[in-house]
Amino acid sequence: MSTPMEEQTGLRKAMAWIHTWLGLLAGWILFAMFLTGTASYFRPEITRWMQPELRLPYVAPPRAAETAVAYLQKVGANDDQWTVYLPDDRTTATRIFRRLPPSPEGKQRFVPETRINPETGDTLAARETRGGEHFYRFHFQLQIPHPWGRWLAGLCTIFMLSAIISGVITHKRIFADFFTLRWSKGKRSWLDAHNVCAVLALPYHAMITYTGLITLMVMYMPWPIDVNYKSSDVFYEEAYGRESQGPASGISAPLVPIAPLIETAMREWGGGRASRLVILHPNDQSATITVIRHGGDTLNAHGQSVIFSGSTGERLSASAPPGPAVETAGVMLGLHMGWFADLAMRWVFLLLGLVGTCMVGTGLVMWTVKRAKPGMPFFGYRLVERLNIGAIACLPAGMAAFLLANRLIPAGVPARGALEVEVFYWVWFGLAAVSVVRPVRRAWMETLAIGAMAFAAVPIVNTITTNRGLAASLTSGDGLFVAFDITMIAAAALLAFAAWKCRKPAKAMRPSDTVSFAPQTRELTDAA
Amino acid sequence: MSTAAGEALAREGNGFRGPLVMAVRSATALLGGYAAAAGSAGLVARVLPVAQVEATMWGIVLSFLIYAALGLWTFAERRIVRVVGVIWGTAALTFGLTVLLGVRA
Repeated sequence: MSTPMEEQTGLRKAMAWIHTWLGLLAGWILFAMFLTGTASYFRPEITRWMQPELRLPYVAPPRAAETAVAYLQKVGANDDQWTVYLPDDRTTATRIFRRLPPSPEGKQRFVPETRINPETGDTLAARETRGGEHFYRFHFQLQIPHPWGRWLAGLCTIFMLSAIISGVITHKRIFADFFTLRWSKGKRSWLDAHNVCAVLALPYHAMITYTGLITLMVMYMPWPIDVNYKSSDVFYEEAYGRESQGPASGISAPLVPIAPLIETAMREWGGGRASRLVILHPNDQSATITVIRHGGDTLNAHGQSVIFSGSTGERLSASAPPGPAVETAGVMLGLHMGWFADLAMRWVFLLLGLVGTCMVGTGLVMWTVKRAKPGMPFFGYRLVERLNIGAIACLPAGMAAFLLANRLIPAGVPARGALEVEVFYWVWFGLAAVSVVRPVRRAWMETLAIGAMAFAAVPIVNTITTNRGLAASLTSGDGLFVAFDITMIAAAALLAFAAWKCRKPAKAMRPSDTVSFAPQTRELTDAA
Repeated sequence: MSTAAGEALAREGNGFRGPLVMAVRSATALLGGYAAAAGSAGLVARVLPVAQVEATMWGIVLSFLIYAALGLWTFAERRIVRVVGVIWGTAALTFGLTVLLGVRA
């Protein structure tokens, strides 16, 4: 029989061990997920920055809906279904998706996304780009074919969740050591940095990890649906409201004016914004118009909906208020997406995301720091060392290159959107590959410095290639472009500081220090 | 840390990290843990006496916590036979029960 004390140390030792390996195996992907996900808090803003030729006015939902419907009556009066994403204060264009009547063979046919000016109804002519969508999609699909990218992202996320739990168990007793040993000697180590990043924002890390799993929960965990429903469609209907379905009557009837319906729905929501319209069988007697509320109006990201008859304007039904479980899942989704957050809160989320990125990065570096020994290191050590450089130091350079490519590839080049994405990968992986020929410390320093220079170049190239440089943005009061330039400079400064810190061997990296590192701190994480 | 505890640690260390044991443990955590979490979530969804949609959603929302907890436990428990038995047993039991109960009417 083991004593309680032994059991406790045994548990903590096991948790420290699994924490190390979960973090190492998933760390490189998690770092990229954290950083691109953090950037995605500003997804629409990045897209707007990447199409500088567009300057659209803000248009209120009822008016934008009128414009959209007028456009659709012109181009697709006989379509099966129209879906309209109305603009808001962040996304200024109206986005339209059309479903055509089935082909003679019964196949579904769609018209790809069209973006129109919410005021004039003209289709938008701007450079082709993936915009902020690129970081957003990469964040959970990793540019790996469906569904494998999402499964890999999910696997890394469950590793992250387990690493958080095991990290907390490992850390529990050590909390005292954290202050008594380290701080009194003023010694800053990678472990300190990792602990500070992890502990300071622990609620955020736990929240963002768990809610990340919730965003794709039905794919990851479909079994509870299978035991309760013969068809998952019924589950969706019960959870999120009935999507209007059914065949067209074949009797033509003009569509009622859209703006009053939107105003009715918005009044019903106490002033909440309408964000999406689904118009089924337009210009048919059985037409229905579903108005869906903005997901950022409430913590729950699943907006309520109201359904109207398209031929009479009569209010047919509305989504039922969600029960506690559906509400919980919806709020978790909302917390992950951050749609509810105003500008200040969004910046707080960005900083917390960066703290999370640093937590993963310092954890990865710590694996090598703790195993540093004099002499030629073993193969696995060198592999981790190089992968760390590639994953941590080279990714920012790739992200900056993606933005630079947006300004440098001429606007008319065909398939330039995909080209921008290629630049992202070529710079990221290319830099990682080239850095292998340099000594480790030089490789860190140089790749970080290249990232810093690339970010510093963004405002300069923006000034040269567009008429929306920092000076012009400041005079015209263009907050988005000013903030973007300042963010680029801040990112450059951060990376330059990191590169500068790499110029000399870190204290803890010296073999003489490393030998005394573990016994001195007596931490179980060191034993792992 | 006392010497006795240190020795206990060293002893545990050897049994804990044998390559074959480690492989079984990892597979049990990753696959068995998922199966047990999925089965448990399914059972929660099937038997929880609330509305069907609510029970389903509770099952889904809780499943990831169950997965992480079971996965970590497979590395915390020293006896590998117990680990394999509990995790795969939970998976078999919960899936068996949901199959017996059938889809909710």
